[in-house]
Amino acid sequence: MKKTLLVSLLVLMTVALSLSGAGVQETKSDGPVAFSLYYSDNATLPFKQDWLTVTEVQKRVNADVEFEIIPIADYQTKVSLALNTGTNAPDVILYQSTKGENAALALNGALVPISDYAEWTPNFNARVKEFGLEEDVDALNLKDGKRYYLPSLFDVPFYDGGLILREDLLKKYNLAEPKTFDDLYNVLKVFKQHSPDSYPLTILAGPRVLYRMTMPSWGISLGKNGASGSNTLSWDYDAKNYFAGAISEEYKSYITFFHKLYAEGLLDPEMAEPIDGDKWSQKLATGKSMASYAYYDQIGGVTANSSIPGFKLQMYPALSGPKGAHHQPKSKTGSGIMFPYKTSKRPDFEKLVRTVDEMFFSSENAKLWCLGVEGVTYTNKDGNVVFVDEILNSSEGIYKSLQVKYGCGSDVTQMVWINAREMTKYDANYARINAEVEAIGDVIQAIPPTPKFDDRQAEDAGTLQTPLSDAFERWNSAFLTGNKDIKGDWDAYVKEMKNLGIEKFTDLYNANL
Amino acid sequence: MKQYKTHSNRIFSLVVNLVMLFSLFACLTPFLYMLSLSFSSPRAIINNEVFLFPKEFNIESYRQIFTYPNFFHAYGNTLFYTIVGTAISLCLMVLFAYPLSKNKLKGQKMIMKLVIFSMFFTGGLIPNYLLVSSLHLVNTRWAMLIPFAINQFNLILLINFFKTIPLDLEEAAIIDGLDYFGILRKVILPLSGAALATVGLYTAVFFWNDWFNGLIYLKSSQFPVMLFLRNIVTGTSMVGDAAGAGDKSTIAISIKSAVIITSTLPIIVLYPFLQRYFVKGILIGAVKG
Repeated sequence: MKKTLLVSLLVLMTVALSLSGAGVQETKSDGPVAFSLYYSDNATLPFKQDWLTVTEVQKRVNADVEFEIIPIADYQTKVSLALNTGTNAPDVILYQSTKGENAALALNGALVPISDYAEWTPNFNARVKEFGLEEDVDALNLKDGKRYYLPSLFDVPFYDGGLILREDLLKKYNLAEPKTFDDLYNVLKVFKQHSPDSYPLTILAGPRVLYRMTMPSWGISLGKNGASGSNTLSWDYDAKNYFAGAISEEYKSYITFFHKLYAEGLLDPEMAEPIDGDKWSQKLATGKSMASYAYYDQIGGVTANSSIPGFKLQMYPALSGPKGAHHQPKSKTGSGIMFPYKTSKRPDFEKLVRTVDEMFFSSENAKLWCLGVEGVTYTNKDGNVVFVDEILNSSEGIYKSLQVKYGCGSDVTQMVWINAREMTKYDANYARINAEVEAIGDVIQAIPPTPKFDDRQAEDAGTLQTPLSDAFERWNSAFLTGNKDIKGDWDAYVKEMKNLGIEKFTDLYNANL
Repeated sequence: MKQYKTHSNRIFSLVVNLVMLFSLFACLTPFLYMLSLSFSSPRAIINNEVFLFPKEFNIESYRQIFTYPNFFHAYGNTLFYTIVGTAISLCLMVLFAYPLSKNKLKGQKMIMKLVIFSMFFTGGLIPNYLLVSSLHLVNTRWAMLIPFAINQFNLILLINFFKTIPLDLEEAAIIDGLDYFGILRKVILPLSGAALATVGLYTAVFFWNDWFNGLIYLKSSQFPVMLFLRNIVTGTSMVGDAAGAGDKSTIAISIKSAVIITSTLPIIVLYPFLQRYFVKGILIGAVKG
């Protein structure tokens, strides 16, 4: 017994050793530019070294990239550690912005101010000009007037999630497609009448998804995922300044509406706890809920697994509220590429920046990251993209299949997003909804500007923000569930928020725009 | 023997058995549930039909995780860290604990104080990282093995165990002409099976479960399988925090379960082999404080 155990341990050890192999050695020839790069890996889309996009792009720009694959859950920790200590940082970091900690690191010299090297990024500059994003990109400058990363660029933001409803039930009960929040209330009411033990409206992930998708129709955006990131302030798109959204009449009217849904059993009480993807699918697939705020991508998975006959989910354009029909505000710039300071000490720094610029922002390579290689993943027929049969007929859909098999459309590596081109990857229904949303006009507003704080102001803002945010979350749940009366306790709530300095906080934001 | 089978004793042992059965059930259920989820079809899971037995039995999720790039590679890494790490750790700890178990050692009290001090107060993440980095260990496998080779708690366990071995044995060995290394090797170690098995198991479990140090010190090709597991299990449940992709992606629960099963099974299988020593070992180290 002892002997077999020993032998098997030895065998395991040998296997382990042989599996472990040697690390990648940097080639020191004059040929390709060799550099290391942090990549944020998502388990739904596991990175593959031999993805067509990854190998092809290195061939095209003559680069030899050592990808460091880091799980998304711990990406920020790893990046923060690399930048804070400065040692062992990679040459290039993907999927980052200068929000939060990175801003302080940048201002203290941990990052290359890439805006100083604009002449080395001709492709990036060309895309910015093409999409008319000069202002949006300038808005990413920090206090010192410099920008520390190359953001990803969007020409028109997508409507990729929103109200999702059981279309088959609308038809069955002879209901019209909801256009306003009052319509939604009536629809949910009817659903509830027909199955009294259901909670018709449920939420994916948590209340924050509901809030960020619906609040803009009331002219506010608050809470953990509020558009401004301030948690308690909102942006006035007409007056172009911040106001104390958390204590505004708009918020009062908003929370009154959702309290009504909650009180009448139309809103899933479990949404206070995070509802993960599995539980969420379960609720919809078994008919315990018939409507939700969530993302379009997920409809397919639920439909395929439901055993209810005729089950059909449909996504609808943003509903109208007191301030019009709006969806979660979105930025036309996203997380992008940054260079740790150490990289600028490389003798071939210019060549490296030029290579990275071409790799992600040139029009041919932007197309590669989106669609793959012409002739392999798609063909061009009369100017229209036609995907090859293998992708067209795959059970997981064009988008997912391109992602998983070829590495196209990963938001880590795709830096240039052209809405019309993206729509070729989705079904006609999705493209139709997006066209409808675009026709309503201004549904997806821009993200409000981030104030330019210096270290001290950032500290002040942080000290004000946390207690305000905590108080807001507490009162908000109490109002929603009826633990506090919106009419009776409103003054006490406003008083508490004022005592915590919400007015000072607003002024601090407005003074630094 | 017969007098034990009284009425009240029977009731007593029945109650004891029931309580034990209940706790066995409470411990096993989550694991069985996970196991049956990993063998069920996504349809059955979403419709909430799976309980203790797999429904619509299939091995699709296992097939899928075995095709994940790097899964076996990471698995190999973990085996390596566990085996080599435990071996290094045991060697160093025995060499450290044996002298410290002798009161006549000069400065023994001071060294013990240092050991205990560092047990309660650590340098923190960034100083630690800088230290490991300036020793040129970052991006090498040693970073997983060396900094954690000596665990103070296990060390104290060993010291206390060595103290229980009668001094007379060692004196006899000295008279027979053995030096200190000889005594350690030929007298002490053969008597320390229980303690070494206990400490070894603690250490092995530590290395098996450790993902954080792998994350911060290693390159992705050197990552242990626990990091891989974490990515699959929590990477997608952090929905919403980074408004966007995270919200939109879900991983089938059957796959999560399959990954959890595959990566925890080996260390669980190790328990029965070592349990005999394990239980005894904890008591032994603890008696003489």
